[in-house]
Amino acid sequence: MTEIHPSLWQCAVVAAALKILLFPAYKSTDFEVHRNWLAITNSLPIWDWYYEKTSEWTLDYPPFFAYFEWAMSQVAYLVHPVMLRLHNLGYDSWQAVYFQRFSVIVTELVLIYALQMFIDSAHGTSRRAAQAAAISILLSPGLLIIDHIHFQYNGCMYGILIASLVLARNKSGFLASGLVFAALLCMKHIYAYLAPAYFVFLLRTYCLSPRSIYKIQFFNCVKLGSGIVAILGLAFGPFTLKGQMPQILSRLFPFSRGLCHAYWAPNVWAMYSFMDRILIAVAPRVGLPVNQEALKSVTRGLVGDTSFAVLPEITPRICFALTLLFQAIPLTKLFLRPTWEAFIGAVTLCGYASFLFGWHVHEKAILLVIIPFSLIALRDRRHLSAFRPLAVSGHVSLFPLLFTPAEFPIKTVYTIFWLMLFLVMFDRLAPASNRQRFFLFDRFSTLYIAISIPLIVYCSLVHGVVFGNRYEFLPLMFMSSYSAVGVVGSWLGFMGVYFTS
Amino acid sequence: MAAPSSAPHKPRRNKAKKTATYDAIPKPEALVRTPSFPLAAFLWPARGSVSQWEVLPLILMAVGLFRWAAGLWGYSGFQAPPMFGDFEAQRHWMEITTQLPISQWYFNDFQWWGLDYPPLTAYHSWLLGKIGAFIDPTWFELFASRGIHDPTLKIYMRATVIVSEYLIYIPAAVIFVRRYSRLFGVAPWTAWVALVAILMQPATILIDHVHFQYNTVMLGFVLSSMSSMLAGRHMWAAVFFVAALGFKQMALYYAPAVFSFLLGSCIYPRINVGRFATIAIATVISFAVLILPIVLGTLYDASRGIDSQPDLDGPHPPLPIFPQLAEYLDTNAVYYPVVEQLVQMVHRVFPFSRGLFEDKVANFWCAINVVIKMRKYPAVLLQRISLGATLASIAPANLILLFRPRKELLPYAFAATAWGFFMFSYQVHEKSALLPLLPMTILLAGKQGLGKDIRAWVGFANLLGVWTMFPLLSRVDLKVPYVVLTLLWAYLLGLPPTSTSAYFQEDQSAWIQWSTAIIHGAFYILMIVWHGLAQFVTPPADKPDLWVVANVGIGCAGFIMCYLWCLGKLVQESGILSRSVGQNTGGKSKTQ
Repeated sequence: MTEIHPSLWQCAVVAAALKILLFPAYKSTDFEVHRNWLAITNSLPIWDWYYEKTSEWTLDYPPFFAYFEWAMSQVAYLVHPVMLRLHNLGYDSWQAVYFQRFSVIVTELVLIYALQMFIDSAHGTSRRAAQAAAISILLSPGLLIIDHIHFQYNGCMYGILIASLVLARNKSGFLASGLVFAALLCMKHIYAYLAPAYFVFLLRTYCLSPRSIYKIQFFNCVKLGSGIVAILGLAFGPFTLKGQMPQILSRLFPFSRGLCHAYWAPNVWAMYSFMDRILIAVAPRVGLPVNQEALKSVTRGLVGDTSFAVLPEITPRICFALTLLFQAIPLTKLFLRPTWEAFIGAVTLCGYASFLFGWHVHEKAILLVIIPFSLIALRDRRHLSAFRPLAVSGHVSLFPLLFTPAEFPIKTVYTIFWLMLFLVMFDRLAPASNRQRFFLFDRFSTLYIAISIPLIVYCSLVHGVVFGNRYEFLPLMFMSSYSAVGVVGSWLGFMGVYFTS
Repeated sequence: MAAPSSAPHKPRRNKAKKTATYDAIPKPEALVRTPSFPLAAFLWPARGSVSQWEVLPLILMAVGLFRWAAGLWGYSGFQAPPMFGDFEAQRHWMEITTQLPISQWYFNDFQWWGLDYPPLTAYHSWLLGKIGAFIDPTWFELFASRGIHDPTLKIYMRATVIVSEYLIYIPAAVIFVRRYSRLFGVAPWTAWVALVAILMQPATILIDHVHFQYNTVMLGFVLSSMSSMLAGRHMWAAVFFVAALGFKQMALYYAPAVFSFLLGSCIYPRINVGRFATIAIATVISFAVLILPIVLGTLYDASRGIDSQPDLDGPHPPLPIFPQLAEYLDTNAVYYPVVEQLVQMVHRVFPFSRGLFEDKVANFWCAINVVIKMRKYPAVLLQRISLGATLASIAPANLILLFRPRKELLPYAFAATAWGFFMFSYQVHEKSALLPLLPMTILLAGKQGLGKDIRAWVGFANLLGVWTMFPLLSRVDLKVPYVVLTLLWAYLLGLPPTSTSAYFQEDQSAWIQWSTAIIHGAFYILMIVWHGLAQFVTPPADKPDLWVVANVGIGCAGFIMCYLWCLGKLVQESGILSRSVGQNTGGKSKTQ
């Protein structure tokens, strides 16, 4: 087979150069969060990890991530032990910055390896498309913004997720896929949103007989079950024996937070809040009651607990029910036709449902949708046209994460660069579908992409010139509502594609 | 934006692509089957039917990202009182040009980074100062703003470098690359590869966007001048070159080559007096326009009674240079302030009173200084020796260009001339290596530009050039961007230390192949060893500058190789030997 250019590794080298140049860029409090976790895991006995609260950034990831931090802290100890002192809050000498930033780049090797697995798992003419998709994930503006500027370790964890998804492509990899995913869950529990798809897929393909759903493959069930128990045991076992589980759970699932995160993630609730705001103006004329208390709240829409003036309140229970409902719909189809493509589609749709309807969703969670979707976006043109609005809105919605002027050119130019490059390239690589396309859906996505340009210009330049510092919430609200339209539109489009292909 | 316009073509293009990819052999336009270095691999998918309106924006965005990201690092003089550095100098010029009357610009000193660049820089600073003051007036307050370290100011200044570059240097580079590659019938795709390589030159990015200066404005004017020469627009070539000189006097390094080419093209193939007159008049008019604001401003200020030297109590001192002028002129005449102003400007711009070389720079004089202490000789003698050596070194290239004013030869002649100046002229700065590097690097867009031979030599010159700037960069903690940008460029072009793919070109004689590889290999090894020593070994106490001096010596030797290569290629390409026209360059060309 002929080599396809450029290779994944070549892209990784050039991307790494840019990432190293970004070392002095803005970093969020997540930098200090991870430095603090390095300090906790390095200087305290394991039993104190989940009780330590010198810093406000307490350890709130599952144990495998804590082990991961512990392993990195061993290296950090050799490099620059000062950064591992527990009381050294907010420490960001250049050694600490270099070490932590560099650790993000190094751990991203997992992602590169997984993407290479993905490319190698594709055959024939789809290999070219697989390579393009893999490079698009590697160069994703989402990962650049979140990991390399804002600071997190998503590259590594999405690498594990992709490895697990790719393993599921072959029959021989089902067990490994499930176990890798279980390990991932013990690293970062946000991936639990995708677990239903794994559960249904592995149940149908691995635990039940391919011929009949009434025949159970007992040996497979035992293997999978004992594997998962072993992994969970490795992660949580020691803490369970010490009776620390309630403390860990309270750290992992802080239910006291509000419906919308500080910046509205572009989901259904953002549109709901936007509707509510419009209704405040409209309600008195049509005689709807307005909750005066909610009106007075100056920080509406900006800080944690949003309360609604006209529309009914939303409880976590409603969020949970809606999420499960919209996850269940695609999963029934996966259960009936458990192909790999359907599995990836179901993972994507689970991501969509949790992102759109979840409680206290962070805008970074959009990667849960974009990354699995990227793997199948090039299947045909109908998948692509559902993917396009998501690619635009998902990445644009990450812009508020970086608000410093020095990073403004980076985030905008890089995202436009990525969108231009990959939307053009994908457009050439995606084969025509054997089904009819949706009426006007392509036109919608083109129009949608076109609107993004004046919107970004308004939010980043015009608004500041016209209003100064007043109405700061306006650009945020526009961005998030615009992005929400894109995400919801692409979700509906993909639902349609999923059920008709 | 592009999507609606391309929608009607979609099906057609897809079909074409598919057949090209899966059924047939790629179009004959693609001469090579596999990319021979990573940069070619990156542009590989753009071969064939891709429109330049898709590729060019992507290229410009990508190189812009690297520039901006590199700019996040520190700049020259960051938190380094008392004098700070180039960044402060440029900011200070914005301050004085916006705060002082125009007649005081070149007289003003305050013991602080007096304006010593030609008028176009002054106008550029004025414009940027005006715009900047609109954002935040405290950035450019007289006296109060010295050594200011506002992070927003840094962003503004970085942005001005990028915007200036994207308005001048980048369009010039795009047009030049297109014209020069068409001259040889090079495919557009190959020209794009060359364009990226030119725009990613590590030395240019490091000096302008990291260390801080506006060299690309001057270099952009030079490129515009060269591409006007390619297009046969001799008058515009002269105008653009005056603009380059008017922005930074360093452009004089190219002046003999510009002169030889323009004069030569008035003589060959037949004498063309009209063209000569046009060029001459255009040059004079451009110079006049260049100094016009200063002249008018001086007259205006004089009429309002604003003194150009307000700090002075008594009468004006005699002219700093050409004092005999005062004997012929009436010092009380209306025009006298203008004379005084222009003489002062020339005095500032060409500081003959300084030494042969200032800092450690990898040129001939600084290198020879290790053996013979140059400073013990009288300054006048040194000036004469320096002038003689410079003229001797640039004479061969310029004579060839004068008698063979062919467009294909331009980059070689420009490079050889600039190398001559860099090696032998007076008052050379290490940043001046950018000047010979530019014409050498644009060779990538020419005939066999991405072939091994030219790639190896262009790469060698660039990597050596940026290496000689390392002491300058490491003084302000810019080692990381230096390492990243240099290795990235070496990687993209398949050069040592990342790859040896640029060596052993098949169609050359074994002797040349081996000698190139051995010479370059030796230099690369020396550079790497030097980095190891400079990083980990402290020099002996009695020779604290040992590593810097070693850098200078190695750099100088390597630059001489580059000079000889450019000259040799110039002789070879001009065909001057094959026609057995006895020029005085015969002896030198044998070395290559």
